[in-house]
Formats: sequence, C-alpha cells, structure tokens
Amino acid sequence: MPWESVIPNLLAGEAQPLACPPMDSEAFAAFYERSARSLWAYLARVSGEPALADDLMQESYVRFLCAAHPDDGEVASRRYLFRIATNLLRDHWRRPRSASIEEIPEEFFAAPGDSVQSDSKAMLGPAMRLLRPRDRQLLWLAYAEGYSHREIAEVTGLASASIRLLLFRARRKIARLLREQSKDDGGRS
Amino acid sequence: MMFGACVREKEVAELLRCGHWPHACSVELRAHVADCRACADLVLVTQTFRSARADATALARLEAPGLIWWRAQLRRRNAAIERIGKPILGAQIFALAIILLAAVGLVISQARQGLRWMSWFDEFPGSLHLAALWPATLASFDARFWLLVPILATLALVSGVVVYLASERR
Repeated sequence: MPWESVIPNLLAGEAQPLACPPMDSEAFAAFYERSARSLWAYLARVSGEPALADDLMQESYVRFLCAAHPDDGEVASRRYLFRIATNLLRDHWRRPRSASIEEIPEEFFAAPGDSVQSDSKAMLGPAMRLLRPRDRQLLWLAYAEGYSHREIAEVTGLASASIRLLLFRARRKIARLLREQSKDDGGRS
Repeated sequence: MMFGACVREKEVAELLRCGHWPHACSVELRAHVADCRACADLVLVTQTFRSARADATALARLEAPGLIWWRAQLRRRNAAIERIGKPILGAQIFALAIILLAAVGLVISQARQGLRWMSWFDEFPGSLHLAALWPATLASFDARFWLLVPILATLALVSGVVVYLASERR
C-alpha cells in the first residue's frame, strides 16, 4: 500500500492552499465549453499546426486548473487561460525543432485537394506564415478575439505602451500581404 | 496622426465590433475608409481574422472536459506528494550525513588504536556465547560465518526495500 494513501487528509489539506480551486468539475465543464473553441482557434491559427493546438490546449487547461488563477469572473479567467497558452506557444517556439517524422503535422502529408480548407484559412494561412510569431499572436488577440491593448499586454507579458506600435506595424504588414495574395489569386483565376 | 494611424479608426473599429459595418454606417464613412489606408487596413484585417476565427472554432476537436479535469487533479496530487516528500528527503540526507560522520569518527578512533578492529570481530561470537545456540554438529564451522550470515541477510533485505521504493517512485 503506498504510504500517501495512509495519510489522505494530510495530502488533501496540503493541496488546498496551493491550487486554490474556485471551480468544481461542473463549473469547469461549462467554462471549457464556452472557451475551448476560441482557444483552439488561437493556438491552431497562430502556430499553423492543428495537432500542436490539440496538445497545447489540453496542457493550457490542466495548468489553468492547477494554478491559483484569478477569481474575477469568466473574462479574467479566459484572459488567464490565453496567457498560459501564449506562454506555452512561446516555449514551443524556443525549443529546438525536432526532425522526427512523428512531429510533422498530418496536413503536411495530405494531398493538396483532400484537405478541408476554408476560404479564410486559404487566405490567412500563407500571410500568417510570413509574419513573426509574436505578430501573429498580437494580431489574433486584437482582431479575432477583440482584446484591448491593455488586455493584450496582460496576455503576452509585453509592455502596454509598445502594443500599439507593434500592432500597427503587424497590421500594416498583414494587410499588404493579404492584398498581394488576393491580387495573385485574381490574376491566376 | 500617430504612426500613420487615422483619427477615425476608433469609430470604424466600434462599428466593426458591433457588426454595423458596412451596411449600418454612413456613406461618408464608407468613402473615408475607401480613401484612408489605415482604416482600410483595419477593415480588411478585422474581417479576415473574424472570418478565420469563425471557421477555426468550427474545426476544433474538443476532448471531454472530465478527462482534463481528472488529469489536473492527478497533477495537483503529484505536486502535493512531491512537496511533502521534500522534507522527508532532507531528513534522509541528514540521517545519512550523521551515519557517515559516525562511521568516519569510528574509523578515526580505531586508527588511533592501531587498526585492530578485526580483533573484536573474532572475539564477538565468543563474548556473546553464540556457540551455545547452534547445534553441536555445526560447531566445526567458523564462528565468524554465523555472524556474517545475518549481516548479509539484512543487507539483502535493505537493498530490496531500497530498490522497491525507488521503482515505486519512478
């Protein structure tokens, strides 16, 4: 018999102050239903890898539940969740890239015609790939999620004053790329 | 103008946020957006990202929330055990250090007496009258053999316990 099962009360008592869980499983399930799709969209579109988005989304929620997150309502919890996801993405990009075949997303092997690609993905995907990861994050948070500069600063950990300039430059760049792409598509068709 | 931004950007952004662009806004504003690079960029980027978000949210493959909840509970429990284990590990290291110190002290004290420490080992079974405990047929065996057997057995038992604890922790 493992020794920790002999003292379950002690373990339970120890776990409380660290994790400070304000959400029970039902509240979490409801919060998950409301927030998971937008978090997945953020991770998938910013990373460009749906399989990675699956992994990072699960890890984000697990860390969210384990950490003593702010109890200021759903908006703050959501922002905190995006902050965890942003940090996980940053850690992923900092790690040296693996050349293992297991790591390559399935989409890479799919034939060009057989993937379910929406117009928005076909249009935004190539332009996003030409941007720096940080710019992708800023643009998604600002224009897809509708976060204010202060909220983006909270999520990304950047200085609030620099968000405005960074966002302006990133927006100008992606707008140029989108226009060029639509011109190319128009020329081809 | 700041960073090439337009003063009407906020107005356009608000209309986009409320879903009033382009049909529920003035002709004058639409004409402005057509001429203004910053506002045109804002409209293009906002509409593209909103559309991408709508498409991506529909594609999301969600895992059961119960599974994530359970995984988080497991991680919290492991973290709590790890936290409790830290002082125990400290106590173990402290105990080991004390034992090592005592052993070093013993070696030093024995060295001062001329390293005659095997002499007590030879005399030990005799001083405890252990020979009286074993059968007469085995009396021909060396007395030290009967002292080594329980020591080796104890070592084997302790090694087994250590290996078990180490494997359980992994």
